[in-house]
Amino acid sequence: MYLPDFEYHMPASIQEACALLAKSGPAAQVLAGGTDLLNKMKHGLVAPQILISLKQLEQLSGIEYVAGKGVVIGARVTHNAICNAKLLQDKYLSVCEAAHHMANNQIRNVGTIGGNIANAVPSADLPPILIALGASITLAGANGEREMALEDFFTGPGKTKIAPDEIITQIIIPDGSFTGSTYIKFGLRRSGALAVVGVAVAVEMDGNVCKKARIALGAVAPVPMRATQAEAAITGQTVSDDLLEAVGVCAAKECKPISDMRGSAEYRRDMVRVFTKRALRKAIDEGHV
Amino acid sequence: MAEKYAVIGKSVPKIDGRVKVTGQAKYTGDLKFPNMLVGKILTSPYAHAKILNIDTAEAEKLPGVKAIITHKDVPTLKYGISPARWDESIFCSDKVRFVGDKVAAVAALDEETVYKALKLIKVDYEVLPAVFDPEEAIKEGAPQIHDEYPRNINTEIHQNFGDVEKAFKEAYHVRTDRFEGNRTYQCPIEPHSAISIWEGNKLTVYSSTQSPHYFQYYIAREFGLPMGDVRVIKTFVGGGFGGKLEPTGLEFAGAALSKLTGRPVKMFYDRHEMFAHNRGRHKQIMEITTGVDKNGKLLGVYANFMMDGGAYTSLGIATAYYAGAMLPLTYEFDNFKFDMIRAYTNLPACGAQRGHGAPQPRYAFECHLDNVATDLGMDPIQLRLVNARQPNTVTPNDFAVNSCELTECIEKAKEVSGWAEKKGQMGKGRGIGIGVGSFVSGAGYPIYRTNLPHASAIIKVHEDGTAATLYTMATDIGQGSDTVLCQMAAEAMGFKYENMKIVSADTETTPHDFGAYASRQTLMSGSAVKQAGEEVKKQLLEMAAQMMEVAPGDLDCRDSIVFSLSDPEKTKPFGEVAREFFVRQGPLVGKGSYAPPKLGGTFKGAAVGTSPAYSFAAQISEVEIDEETGEIDVKEVWDIHDCGQVINPSLLHAQVHGALFMGMGESIWEQVLFDDQGRILNPNLGEYRLPTAMDMPKITSELVESYEPAGPWGVKEVGEGATIPTMGCYANAIYDAMGIRVNSLPLSYEKVWRALKEKRESEAK
Amino acid sequence: MQALVDNNGITRYLVTIKINGDEYTRVVKANTLMVNFIRDELDLTGTKKGCELGDCGSCTVLMDGKPVNSCVVLAVEADGHEITTIEGLATNENLDKLQESFVDHAAVQCGYCTPGMIMSAKALLTKNPHPTEPEVREAIAGNLCRCTGYVNIVKAILAAANE
Repeated sequence: MYLPDFEYHMPASIQEACALLAKSGPAAQVLAGGTDLLNKMKHGLVAPQILISLKQLEQLSGIEYVAGKGVVIGARVTHNAICNAKLLQDKYLSVCEAAHHMANNQIRNVGTIGGNIANAVPSADLPPILIALGASITLAGANGEREMALEDFFTGPGKTKIAPDEIITQIIIPDGSFTGSTYIKFGLRRSGALAVVGVAVAVEMDGNVCKKARIALGAVAPVPMRATQAEAAITGQTVSDDLLEAVGVCAAKECKPISDMRGSAEYRRDMVRVFTKRALRKAIDEGHV
Repeated sequence: MAEKYAVIGKSVPKIDGRVKVTGQAKYTGDLKFPNMLVGKILTSPYAHAKILNIDTAEAEKLPGVKAIITHKDVPTLKYGISPARWDESIFCSDKVRFVGDKVAAVAALDEETVYKALKLIKVDYEVLPAVFDPEEAIKEGAPQIHDEYPRNINTEIHQNFGDVEKAFKEAYHVRTDRFEGNRTYQCPIEPHSAISIWEGNKLTVYSSTQSPHYFQYYIAREFGLPMGDVRVIKTFVGGGFGGKLEPTGLEFAGAALSKLTGRPVKMFYDRHEMFAHNRGRHKQIMEITTGVDKNGKLLGVYANFMMDGGAYTSLGIATAYYAGAMLPLTYEFDNFKFDMIRAYTNLPACGAQRGHGAPQPRYAFECHLDNVATDLGMDPIQLRLVNARQPNTVTPNDFAVNSCELTECIEKAKEVSGWAEKKGQMGKGRGIGIGVGSFVSGAGYPIYRTNLPHASAIIKVHEDGTAATLYTMATDIGQGSDTVLCQMAAEAMGFKYENMKIVSADTETTPHDFGAYASRQTLMSGSAVKQAGEEVKKQLLEMAAQMMEVAPGDLDCRDSIVFSLSDPEKTKPFGEVAREFFVRQGPLVGKGSYAPPKLGGTFKGAAVGTSPAYSFAAQISEVEIDEETGEIDVKEVWDIHDCGQVINPSLLHAQVHGALFMGMGESIWEQVLFDDQGRILNPNLGEYRLPTAMDMPKITSELVESYEPAGPWGVKEVGEGATIPTMGCYANAIYDAMGIRVNSLPLSYEKVWRALKEKRESEAK
Repeated sequence: MQALVDNNGITRYLVTIKINGDEYTRVVKANTLMVNFIRDELDLTGTKKGCELGDCGSCTVLMDGKPVNSCVVLAVEADGHEITTIEGLATNENLDKLQESFVDHAAVQCGYCTPGMIMSAKALLTKNPHPTEPEVREAIAGNLCRCTGYVNIVKAILAAANE
C-alpha cells in the first residue's frame, strides 16, 4: 500500500488552520491522529492534496473542567489520554471505558476524540456515550466559532455538518444530573473489532424511579442515534427487569440497522434489545456516571 | 546412571531465538541488494473476464518505471504444484478467472512508483458470467472456467472399501448429517516476498518459502533451466502454515523482470494481495452417514463431500483426497465409502492449510459422532473409546499404523479436564465437549513423482573441533526445525548442542529435503540427521581408538567427551580427537538420507495420507455461551497428544498451542467473505479476525507416553495435529451447553444466536 | 520544519527524529510513513510490516515512550519526537530482560511479530512493572501472532516482570 502525495502543513494557530482550510477548499483535510484518514488514503477512498496537521495546536490537547460549562476535552486528545485522565475517571468513567474498548492500545495512543467524531463512522465508539451525556462540540471556522449538540452533528456515514473551513476544537460534556451512565460495545472479538452494536445510556435515578434517561445507539443507523421512544418508555417509571426488557424492545424497534459482513440487520436489532437492557441495568446498578 | 540422552528431550533455547528478539533476523522483505528494483503484479478486478487488450504505454512513461511485462514477455508453460493439473500461467493471456488473477507486472525504482504504474496500465476486459458456489458450478450451463474441465469438475474421487451398503443394512442405527466448512486463510504475519537476481544464465531467488526444493524445481521447469542453475535461498520466514509451499507469481514474474532489467527485483504482496493469492482452507460441504451397532461400534461410514477449490488447482487434489482418507484413521471401521467433487469456481484458489484437508471433515465427523452418541444415549467419550484406533492396525484404505495411544489420549483428556464431574452438570450456559483427531508424520510420497530420498543431511565438524555445522534443506519457518535438528545432530554425534551451527534451506549449499509440510521434518529430516551424526561419531571414535589405544567398540561419546566404556575415567575431548582427525584424514563429515518404505495400497489415490507414522490427539474444551447474544466464551482447552518421543518439550508444546490457536480461530471467528462479484470483503486483519491475546483461553498441553518405531528416537508428528480436533471439540461443547448444533463453520456468535432462537421457537410450538 | 520543492514540484521536508538515542536528520516526502522511514531510510529492519493498516502491530515502535503502529504515523509528524525500535532495547551485549525472557520461554516461533510484541510489552512494563495476566493480554492485544496462541508470550512477559 502507499499514500498518494500531498502537501503537509502544520499551522501554528487555529485561525491559521481555518484560514488554510478556507483557502484550500475540498482539496484539504485535517490530520489529527491519522489512524482513520491515512488508511482511507491508502485505500484510495479519499485523496486530499493538502493535509493540515493539528500537531502544533497544543491548546487542543487538554482536558479541563470549566465552571459553568462542564468538562472540556480538546479535539486532539487521544483515546488513551481519555482513559488515563483523572478528571474523566472521576466524573465520567463511562467515557474512559468507552475509549478503552476502542481498537487496540497502539491505535489508542494515536487516534483522537476529534477524529473519532469527525470521521462519522456509524460504529464509532465515543459518539454514543457523548451523546447520551448531552455533549456538544465547538467548531472553529475562518469566521469564528460555533457550538453544536453532538447528536445534531452527524448527517450520514462519513457525513457531518462541518463546514469546509471548520475544525472541531473541543468536546464539552455539560454538568448534568445523571446518576449513572455506561457504554457497552458488542464486537466480534475482544480487541481490534468494530462495534456490531454499541449502546450508551445515561440515567438519573431517584431511588428506584428513573427520572431521566438518554439512550444513544451506535452501528445500527447511518448516524449515532437517540432511542427516544425507549427513553420515553423508561422515564418516570419504576425500574424492574420487565421494564428494562420492554425498553430494550422499544429501542430495537426504533433502530435502523443494515446487514453487513459483521451481522445481519435482524441480529443487530435483537442485540440492541439485549444491550439496551444490560446497559440500563449496569448504569442503574453501578451508580457512576 | 546418567539420563538416557544428553541433548534430546531437553528444552534447549531456540537456535535463532536471539537474532529474532533483537530484530537482527532478516526476512526476505528486509534484504537490500545494490541496484535493486521493486516489483508488483497487476491483478484482475473481475472474477471472470476476457482480456481484450492491455495498454502499458502510459505506465511506461512514468519516471522510475524500468520494465512492464505481460503474458507476451514470459514463458507460457502452465504450472501448478500438483503435476496432475498444471493450470496456472505466469500471466493470464486469454481470460482472468478470479478477482486477483495475474495480468501484468511492473518493476520500478521504488514502491510508490510501482503502485502508481499499476494504476496506469489500462486493461480492456469483456466481463463474463461468473460462478462462486461449487454446487452451482457443476451444474450444466454454469459458466465454464477452464475449457479442459467440463462442468468445472477439477477432481472427482470415488473410493469404496468393504461394503458400506451392507454395513448400513446390518446396523442398529444409521444416521446422516450435513455440515459445511468455510474458507479460511493461513494469514502468516509476514507477507510473501521474493527477490530474484540473474547472473548470466544463473538465477538466484531469495524467498519466504516453505520448500526451497519445490520452488527450485518449478522455477527451473518454467524457465527451462537445469535445476543447478536455479538457487533458491530461504531467508527467515514469518510463518507459512501451508500458504508458502508453492511458488507464486512473485517468483515467476520477479525472475522475468530481473532478467529483462538485469537488476535484482524484489517482489512482494501486501495483505490484500495475500488474501487474493490465498491457497487457504477450502470450503467443504460434507454429508456423512454412519451405521453403528447397539454398543456404538462403527460398522460403516459414507462420506459424500464437495469442495470449492477456487479458480486453480494449487494443492487441492491432495486436499480432496486427504478430506476422506484421514477419516478411517482416527476410528476403526472396515466399511468406508468416499465420494468427492472438487469444483472450480471464480474465487481465489484454495490449497493446504495446517491439517490440510482433514480439519473440516474431522469437525463434521466429531459433531456427527456426538449426534450418534445422543441417539444411542451414550456418553460421547464412551463412544469414542469403543471405536478408537489401536496400535499395529491397518486402516481400510491401507494405512499401516504403528504406535497409537489414542485410547490413552482420550482417557487422560477425560481425567485432566474433570469430564466426569462436569459433563451435563455445569449449569446453564456452560458446556464441555470432546474432539479427537489424527495426522500424518510426513507424506509417504512427494508432491511430484521422483525417487529422490525425502530428506538428507551433511554434518561437517570444524577443523579445530570446536563446532559442527549441520547442512540440510529442511526448512525452518518458525516451528523450530533448525533447533530440533541440531539437537538431534548433537545427540547422534555425542556433541554439545551449544556448539552446533546450521546452514539450512539453500538449494546450493545444503543437500536435498522436500521442506516444511505434512508435519514431516522431525521424523524424516531427523532420520537423515541422525544417520549423518552417527557417521561422524563412528569416524571420530575410530580415530579416538587409535589415539587412546583402545578398541573402537570400547568407546562412546557424549556431551563432547569421548570416554571408554570399560574405564569411564579414560576420556578425551571431542574437539581434540576431531582436530587430530582433520590433521590425519581431512574433513570429518557425516552424511545421511531418508526415504520412507513403500507405503499404501494400489487403488487410485492410495498414496495420499500414507505416512511412516501417525499421531493422535484428544481435545476437550469448556465453553460458556451467552444465551441472549450467542457469544462464545471459551474457558479452557486441554490437548493430549500422542506424538511419540519428544526432542524439545517447550518447542513441542508451543506447536500444540499454535495449532490449537489456528483451529480455534477457524472455529469461531475466521472466514474469508466475498461479495456477489467475487471480491473479498475482509482482506485485512481488522475484519478477518484472528483471535487476539484477549480472546485465547487457558490452554493445557500434555502428552502420553508413546514410542514410534518408524521415527528416529521414536518421534512423530506434532505441528498440525492439534488443529484437527478443535472445531468439533468446540461445536460439541456448545451442544452440551445449549443443546444446539451449529452445522457450519465458523460457529459465529450470530449462528449460535440464530440456532438458540430457532430452538426456542420450535419449543414454543 | 524546513521544506523544499524538488524538480517535479513535490515538497520535501527536513525532519529530525531521535531514534534509539541518536538523532537522524533526513529529507522526506510528506507521504513517508514512519515504518518506511525506519526500515528504508535507516535500515532498521527489525520493525516489520505486516498489514500496513494498524491491525497487526508488527510495526510497533515506542514514540515518546508510548507504543504506536509506525504504519499509521507520518514521518513528518514524528519530527522532533523520540522513537525506540527493537534495535534500541539491548544495551551492548546485554539483552533486555524481556528479550531474554522471550528466548527462555519459547515465546518466539517465526519471530515476525516478536519485535512489535516486545515493544508493546516494554511499554507495559515501563508503566506497570508488575502487571496481572489480563493486563498483559490487553497490552499485547494489538499485536497479532499466528504461531504461538500467545501462551508462551504471556508467560515470558509475566516472567520478565517478576524477575
